[in-house]
Amino acid sequence: MEEVKLFGYWVSPFCRSVEIALKIKGIQYEYIEEDLTNKSPQLLQYNPVYKKIPVLLHNGKPIAESMVILEYIDETWKNNPILPKDPFEKARARFWANFVDQKCFPALWKTIWSTSEQYEQNKAEALERLKVLENELGGKRFFGGDSIGMVDIVANFIGFSFRTIQEALKLDVFTEDNFPKLWEWAENFVNCSPVKKCLPPQDKLIANFPPAYMGKTLVSSFQSRLQLPPPGGC
Amino acid sequence: MREANNSSVVVVDFWGNGFGMRVRIALEEKGIKYEYREEDLTNPQRSQLVLDMNPVRKSVPILIHRGQPVCDSAAILEYIDETWKDGFPSLLPRDPYDRAIARFWTDFVDNKVFSTQAMFLRSKGDRAKEESKNELIGELKQLEAVLGDEQYFGGANFGYLDVVLIPFSSMFYGYESHGNFKLEEECPKLSDWVKRCLARDSVRKVLPDSVEMYELHKKFYGIE
Repeated sequence: MEEVKLFGYWVSPFCRSVEIALKIKGIQYEYIEEDLTNKSPQLLQYNPVYKKIPVLLHNGKPIAESMVILEYIDETWKNNPILPKDPFEKARARFWANFVDQKCFPALWKTIWSTSEQYEQNKAEALERLKVLENELGGKRFFGGDSIGMVDIVANFIGFSFRTIQEALKLDVFTEDNFPKLWEWAENFVNCSPVKKCLPPQDKLIANFPPAYMGKTLVSSFQSRLQLPPPGGC
Repeated sequence: MREANNSSVVVVDFWGNGFGMRVRIALEEKGIKYEYREEDLTNPQRSQLVLDMNPVRKSVPILIHRGQPVCDSAAILEYIDETWKDGFPSLLPRDPYDRAIARFWTDFVDNKVFSTQAMFLRSKGDRAKEESKNELIGELKQLEAVLGDEQYFGGANFGYLDVVLIPFSSMFYGYESHGNFKLEEECPKLSDWVKRCLARDSVRKVLPDSVEMYELHKKFYGIE
């Protein structure tokens, strides 16, 4: 009997990535929601280096860092692969997953936490990154082709949470007019069965992102709970 | 950009780029012949080759195999391991969990160690320098703990994490000079590991001279 546990936090897109992969593969797992202001002794034991979520525990062995976990899941459970078989295509997928993770996510995140002075500049950077993604998607249904793959999974924040948050905050970064292909991708992505099961509740998301340009204290306390870099530090 | 030979391998890199050194060491370890094309990173303008082969990131290293580019050093290493597999020494271990450990520590090197050493080299004032120096030594000690009593990070064999980390050793002299400490005293096992790796042809061939590396970094970081 395989024992799979996931230590996560409801809003974290890095945790959503792992959950989507587990759902795609049909793996049964126990989900443990962490209180990031009061981390469990198990989390600290299983990820002593960073003390962060997500952590996957498979038969007692812990794995940390969401992209490392995704590769582990794909190599351990061979059904419904999330990476292509061909080494060149696989390398491309890894490159793009890295681009989304290192370049797109921080740029979008920054727009949410912008002060009014910073917003236009941060928005310009985010638009640039989304443009690159839109070009890469081209005429494909998903980045993974006909079905979702690692790049789509890593981009889950763009697919769902970011659009919800930006609507709540009345931001205009990712629009259907500006990015028609990416918008269509997002609609298809959130309607995929494994993804639908993993999305954070929309009303809870909206409630946790009060209107833009909030005070510094609120921002910094939320930042520390989410364990994400401060707006200037991305 | 077309290659004359359908199976040819080209590496576009800069002599002082630690991320590119790992690609070249990996190819040497596998015994793969490659053509090296130098990209001068001291020139802010990128060559047409780099702009064509890596339009998204405009960075090196780039591996060009059969005319097709592979970018991002970690993705390149995995590509090399998967493409030259049967009959070649492996970089990554076989077991998925061991592979996850190697990838985890690679991410640690790339995201933590790399930025800490940049912060250390860039730091102004004694206090900032001392703090970042201690942070860097702390991270190297964490890696030393991963090595334990093994010959290599790959165990008995020179493997993926060894390839990933050994290029940083070409800056150890630089860190020591900049911070006035001896790595041999702080991390004796890691220092022994460096000596062991330097005995390998692949590493000796690729790693640049430590003094030249420090000079390069001094210019880049504006160190007097």
